[in-house]
Amino acid sequence: MHEVSRALALALGLIGRGDQEFLSIVRLSLGVSLTATLAALVIGAPLGVALAISRFRGRAGLILTSNALLGLPPVVVGLCVYLALSRSGPLGKFGLLFTPAAMVVAQLILLTPIVIALTHRMAAGLWGEYGGALMVDGASGPRSIAIILAIGRATMLTVFLAAFGRAISEVGAIIVVGGNIRGYTRTMTTAIALETSKGELALALALGMVLIALSFAVNAVAFLLARAWRK
Amino acid sequence: MASVVLNEVRKTYAGGFEAVKGVSFTVSDGGLCVLVGPSGCGKSTLLRMVAGLETVSSGDIRIGERRVNDLEPMARDIAMVFQNYALYPHMSVFDNMAYGLRNRGTPKPEIEKRVKEAARILELDALLERKPRQLSGGQRQRVAMGRAIVRKPAAFLFDEPLSNLDAKLRVQMRIEIRKLQRELKTTSIYVTHDQLEAMTLADRLVVMNGGHMEQVGTALDVFQNPASVFVAGFIGSPPMNFLAGEVDTQGRLRLPDGAFLAFDPKRGEAQVGRKVLAGLRPENVALRNGVEDGAAPRFRLELVEELGMGRLVHGKVGERPFTVAQGASDPPPSGYSLSIGIEPALVHLFDAASGLSLTSAAPRR
Ligand SMILES: Nc1ncnc2c1ncn2[C@@H]1O[C@H](COP(=O)(O)OP(=O)(O)OP(=O)(O)O)[C@@H](O)[C@H]1O
Ligand SMILES: [Mg+2]
Repeated sequence: MHEVSRALALALGLIGRGDQEFLSIVRLSLGVSLTATLAALVIGAPLGVALAISRFRGRAGLILTSNALLGLPPVVVGLCVYLALSRSGPLGKFGLLFTPAAMVVAQLILLTPIVIALTHRMAAGLWGEYGGALMVDGASGPRSIAIILAIGRATMLTVFLAAFGRAISEVGAIIVVGGNIRGYTRTMTTAIALETSKGELALALALGMVLIALSFAVNAVAFLLARAWRK
Repeated sequence: MASVVLNEVRKTYAGGFEAVKGVSFTVSDGGLCVLVGPSGCGKSTLLRMVAGLETVSSGDIRIGERRVNDLEPMARDIAMVFQNYALYPHMSVFDNMAYGLRNRGTPKPEIEKRVKEAARILELDALLERKPRQLSGGQRQRVAMGRAIVRKPAAFLFDEPLSNLDAKLRVQMRIEIRKLQRELKTTSIYVTHDQLEAMTLADRLVVMNGGHMEQVGTALDVFQNPASVFVAGFIGSPPMNFLAGEVDTQGRLRLPDGAFLAFDPKRGEAQVGRKVLAGLRPENVALRNGVEDGAAPRFRLELVEELGMGRLVHGKVGERPFTVAQGASDPPPSGYSLSIGIEPALVHLFDAASGLSLTSAAPRR
């Protein structure tokens, strides 16, 4: 008990005086997760809408796949990316392993199915409502996608929050491909995992508090937005 | 300007359900054809096939000179008004109306001119900058109409465009749609499940039931000469009364309780002994006080609805519910000893087994 309260005091100290290492970890976490989330949106949102509005062979299979991939185990994704980026892997020559870029790639793979599945769900509903009008109005495929996303922009914000919430709290994939290198690829979650196992509770606790505050805020905003828009 | 011709059009959905089972009719150039029928009878499916929003399983659809079966909706030169209006919520009224024109590459000044003109006709001038959510239901309906008319298409397709409005507005908009359609002389197909809306709008009425076409004709013709029990019961409000009976002698039916009902044998053949349904329109039936001659069907009074311009008298004849529509000047029913009377020429007869009319001169198609 004594140790915990000492660690807690230290943690508050780290946050309070804006410790350099602590801040850089938070910054990297935010940077990696935001980049991965935005990239997943850029790729997944149009795909999700396209799956809802076009009819082609194998479409049902793709929808099923994207839904099944929602439960992708992060560690396995990390492992696959690791194998691809490792020096003997197919993408080894880029030297990306154990860099923030590798972490972004791993998270992008995790998040894209989420964005596709959630966007598809939204777009299927909107297409039922507006699809006929768009077709009669002669909107092309890309224009239809843009309009569905514009109409559903409120829902897309919750999709963003859901994906970001998953990214920022994820540890399995980024620890494998990032390596938790101090000052370079150490994020909040990887730091907590490693520091705790080393018994360095202060930094872990401080990061834990920030992480909880962040994911609490993200989820609260998502919930409030969803409630406000349902009206 | 174009006519729309449907020839043996069928639709089987992916699951194997046949929603439209061979429908053929023609909408003449500038005419307004109403598709009417109960929920689920395939009206929207048929309209969406004309629009190109559903594939045609078999049969031909022609708009003007062209067979359009395999054309994209945009290439068919139609405009459609949807039941939910489907106005783009993030666009202004102006942009909603202009969108279809922009996609077709219409020059800007022309778009401006057409939208302004439509807005004037529909009294939307002051609302062009608003978003759909800032409009009332009736105004949204007008925008949906405006989006259709700016295009100056070969045909308008309406899918229950008034069903989201309250009763009063619905009547008002019904009249406006009719006026507008007369003025623009654009060939139109209008879908509704409201028989009154159908009667008042139609140049030509197509009554559908369970994916089949039951009857085609002018509103008056369908009303006066319903081709089947289904049409007879569906068109007209309050609906036609039906009494089961058997042809006793030429020109006379025997009802189960021993009463007799005279019909006009000249209107159609009905052999003696045939089991039939007699159809009596509520407004053609007179109520008589007392049971004068024992042969007239007896009416058991249950409820009187006063409407001001008349009244509806509900009761039973034999075991069947029966309604009589009285004018305001008719004496209200007094006492419970009543019988019904009707001109023999106004009695419709239907074959009890097939439901087809025996008295209607009109061909079924
Ligand atoms: N995409 C679909 N797949 C399978 N069946 C369908 C589909 N769309 C409609 N149906 C079925 O086809 C039938 C006709 O539907 P449709 O929407 O044309 O009816 P409707 O006459 O317009 O009815 P309403 O007045 O309720 O709008 C219904 O039984 C419906 O369940
Ligand atoms: Mg319908």
